[in-house]
Amino acid sequence: MALDAVDVSKHVTGPAGRIDILDSVTLRVAYGESLAIVGASGSGKTTLLGLLAGLDTPSSGRIHMDGHPLHDGDEETRAALRRQLVGFVFQSFHLMPALSAEENVMLPLELDGATEARSRAREALDAVGLTPRRGHFPHQLSGGEQQRVALARAFVNQPRILFADEPTGNLDRHTGSDVCDLLFQLNHAHATTLVMVTHDVSLAERCMHVAELDEGRLREPA
Amino acid sequence: MNLIRLSLRTLRREWRLPELRTLGAALVLAVAALGVVATLSARVEQGVTASAAELIGGDLGVSASSPLPREFANHARAQGLAVSRIATFPSMAFASSSNQLVDVTAADRAYPLRGKLTIRKAEGSPVIDAHGPARGTVYLDHRALNDLGLTPGQSVQLGGITLRIAGQMVSQPDGGQLVAMAPVAVMNLADAQAAGLLGTGSRAGHKLLVAGAPPATKAFASWVKPKLAPGQHLLTPQSSQQRMRESFDRAGAFLRLTALLAALLAGVAIALAAQRYARRKTDEVALLRALGTPRRRVLGLLTGTLVGLAVPALLIGMGLALGLSQLAWQLAGNLLTSAPTTLPWLPTLAAAAVGLAVLAGFALPPLAHLAEVPPVAVFQRSQQRRVHRIDLLYLLPVLVATGLIWMQSGSNQLGPILAASLAGVVVVALLLSAIMLWLARRLAPNAHPGLRLGLAALSRRRGLSLVQATALSLGLTALLLLGVVAPSLLQSWRNELPADTPNWFVLNLQDNQRADFIKTLHSLGADRLNMLPLAVGKLVSINGTPVDKMHLEKGDAKHWANRQLRLSWSARLPSSNKIVAGTWQGADPSRPMVSIDERWRDMFGLKPGDHMTFQVGEATLDTEVSSVRKVDWSSFQVNFFLLLDAAHAGALPHTWIASFHLPRGQSQALSGVVRKDPNLSLIDVNALLNRVRSIIQRVTLAVRWVLGFSLLAGILVLVAALASSAREREHEAALLRTLGAHRSQLRTAAACEFAMLGLIAGATAALGAAGAGTWLARRVFHIEHFVPPLLPLLATAAGAAVIVMLIGLAGTRRVIRSSPLLLLRRG
Repeated sequence: MALDAVDVSKHVTGPAGRIDILDSVTLRVAYGESLAIVGASGSGKTTLLGLLAGLDTPSSGRIHMDGHPLHDGDEETRAALRRQLVGFVFQSFHLMPALSAEENVMLPLELDGATEARSRAREALDAVGLTPRRGHFPHQLSGGEQQRVALARAFVNQPRILFADEPTGNLDRHTGSDVCDLLFQLNHAHATTLVMVTHDVSLAERCMHVAELDEGRLREPA
Repeated sequence: MNLIRLSLRTLRREWRLPELRTLGAALVLAVAALGVVATLSARVEQGVTASAAELIGGDLGVSASSPLPREFANHARAQGLAVSRIATFPSMAFASSSNQLVDVTAADRAYPLRGKLTIRKAEGSPVIDAHGPARGTVYLDHRALNDLGLTPGQSVQLGGITLRIAGQMVSQPDGGQLVAMAPVAVMNLADAQAAGLLGTGSRAGHKLLVAGAPPATKAFASWVKPKLAPGQHLLTPQSSQQRMRESFDRAGAFLRLTALLAALLAGVAIALAAQRYARRKTDEVALLRALGTPRRRVLGLLTGTLVGLAVPALLIGMGLALGLSQLAWQLAGNLLTSAPTTLPWLPTLAAAAVGLAVLAGFALPPLAHLAEVPPVAVFQRSQQRRVHRIDLLYLLPVLVATGLIWMQSGSNQLGPILAASLAGVVVVALLLSAIMLWLARRLAPNAHPGLRLGLAALSRRRGLSLVQATALSLGLTALLLLGVVAPSLLQSWRNELPADTPNWFVLNLQDNQRADFIKTLHSLGADRLNMLPLAVGKLVSINGTPVDKMHLEKGDAKHWANRQLRLSWSARLPSSNKIVAGTWQGADPSRPMVSIDERWRDMFGLKPGDHMTFQVGEATLDTEVSSVRKVDWSSFQVNFFLLLDAAHAGALPHTWIASFHLPRGQSQALSGVVRKDPNLSLIDVNALLNRVRSIIQRVTLAVRWVLGFSLLAGILVLVAALASSAREREHEAALLRTLGAHRSQLRTAAACEFAMLGLIAGATAALGAAGAGTWLARRVFHIEHFVPPLLPLLATAAGAAVIVMLIGLAGTRRVIRSSPLLLLRRG
């Protein structure tokens, strides 16, 4: 199982007392599957994505990624898992402004100490059709191009699981659709497990499973 | 009105931002440092001037070989100045059983206007302050009383009149001048006039002394200058002593250097903070512009916020300057100045004005650019990044810095040297950074992952890295200059006058008295004896042309060509001399040689190989110029403009002159030597030495007071420079954490980045501080043998590099620990 979350809850304590963000969420995602997490703003989508990706720890419950527990490991262990298994695509792209497109793609490889980072980054950029712009900096690229660089970065170290947070949220319909096609194409080519948070119904419908969150509770079992 | 309210509201919301706090703190420090320096240096200068005035006996004087016109004194009185007149002449004093030649000062009752005339009413009674003696009375010094066998209360005949000895003179204001020291008597001026001692044909020198408020003194000097007849000279504290003048110049330069560096450092900190503030505000400004706010209004809002911040900062800075300078005066008032001073509003206000100029000059360019962010940037962030590479606005900080250097340096050497040194530091920092970044890029692919990240980040954030390295280098250079080089310069200055500096001179020592005199000196514990022969002669010709046939344009040259010259000779080059052209003649050259001082080279256009002929007594000596010497006239050693070679000049008629250090308390015993050999003239320069030492002490104290501010300003620059990339770093760290980077990888990367920055800054600063220090020592402070303290400099630079790394790491600790989830939350 790529992801296995059982009875996961997350709450924070604010000035007005305890706020429950997620309440007893249980879901499983097998290797190669795709899951869309949908729901209204404030329903806990991003929190769930963060927990599944090992960016945060649940208040209670258990989460396993590729059989490794995320709920009781320390941040360093989770970081190591992310480095080996996970790719990310963000709504705001989050490219390093001071790095060229190629250098941005090299980054996960460099972090992992991989050899031939540059040649592999070039291949990844080629796969998203950005070879001519590999020396450009993020501010010199359009939104669609930036997200394609982000896709190349996400897939360059061949992650087993890809997390996408509103990947088309900052793009126009046409560009968003192109990027989306590319995302699924790469996902298919690399047999990656995909977990995506989206508001876009058409995008959610392209995933194998849809989990809808409502005030921190899962409405339909995934 | 609305804009002001909006600006203040913005400030209230944003004043907790670190960049605004840095900006405010830098401004406070700049104003406080400039204010304290201006106040302290004004007070030190007052103190130094007052100290020099004590040598003259007034703030200003006019000297002449004949009585001075009454008009001078009347005009001075009309200006509200105090006036005193004195005359000095040698005269024979008679007691019942003996007589003695004494140097007489005939003074009115107002004398001295500055400094102290101290007397003892009787042997063993306490020393008291006094003024010119009343009519019919006289003060005699210890030697005169001894030689004449008299005590206070008895009578002495001086200039044909009998005077009662009203006290034993202990010290008088102009003590320490290089004059032949015969026993001294101070009598009333009216008595001297009545006795006809000052009439036609007398050898008396006359002085009119004035003292009062500086503007009135200045006005009197301007009025009297054009009225001076030949033979009348203006005496100012500054011109009264060559040695004192040099100390004056050095003192001023030290203080100005400290203030200047503090202000420039504050400027750099302000520039960095404003740049960072501008980056933070970009989105907000783009939004304001998109919502239809005109560019001018945006600029008004930003300026308003800045002014809102500046006003309290200026007030705090001024308050600190006033408070601390008052505190300094309370703690060390006597050392700073003996003259009463008022609260120094003017220098403090001037410092606030300069602080405002620094703020405007360094902060406005980035903020003005901020107002130019186009409204479309709200959609396209790329629009925010249009860089104006050549921009006239960025000349503003350069102009302000140049203005500051020009205003504060006050000498034609300090400013350009400092400006050139700092420009050199910028160039070296940029070059070194470019090389390091190039190396980093080459080394990165094969390095440890953490190091690779750091090296890659450094080389990829190229522009920011260059700015950071340069700012850090400038900050560290200034810190090393202030913290390591300046104290070492002050120490070198102090070392020029060590405790055993010669404090006595003896003139007119004959060949047959030499051995006994040296033996006596040894028995008194004297050391540092430097004895040279002294012959009196005339310059006859240069390169075969008689001097009276030469067309000498320079007034000095004419003067020296016509007067009796003091010649000496030595086998070895005296210690306070340095050859600047030609070679030292040695002990036994084949033909007669002369080594000349630089001043003679300039006056007569001489060079090695030229010929000079001297007449000494009946002998004529045709010499060849062997070398040109630079003489340290402030060394308190016997020195000569013209040094002949010992082999050919040894037979010329001569006496001996010597300088030596006599331990405290032995001067009485030394006067016994003079009683035995009355032809000897002894000169005590202790008073002069003490005055020069007190100037050094004053300056050291003032520099120490200001140093604290400058160091704080330097640290502020370091913090501001390191913080300038914090935002980019935070985003990077969060992203890297999300992509799975270890904390240790982030820490190694950050450590590597900051260590590189620290290394560049440390190396550049050590080079810059050593270079600038040596240059300043030679050209501004005239400390010839200054060697920059290389080891402390390198150690401090290495330490600074480590500190840069630690501050940098401390700054990223929070970033490294923050949850990567933040990135998802930001969208």
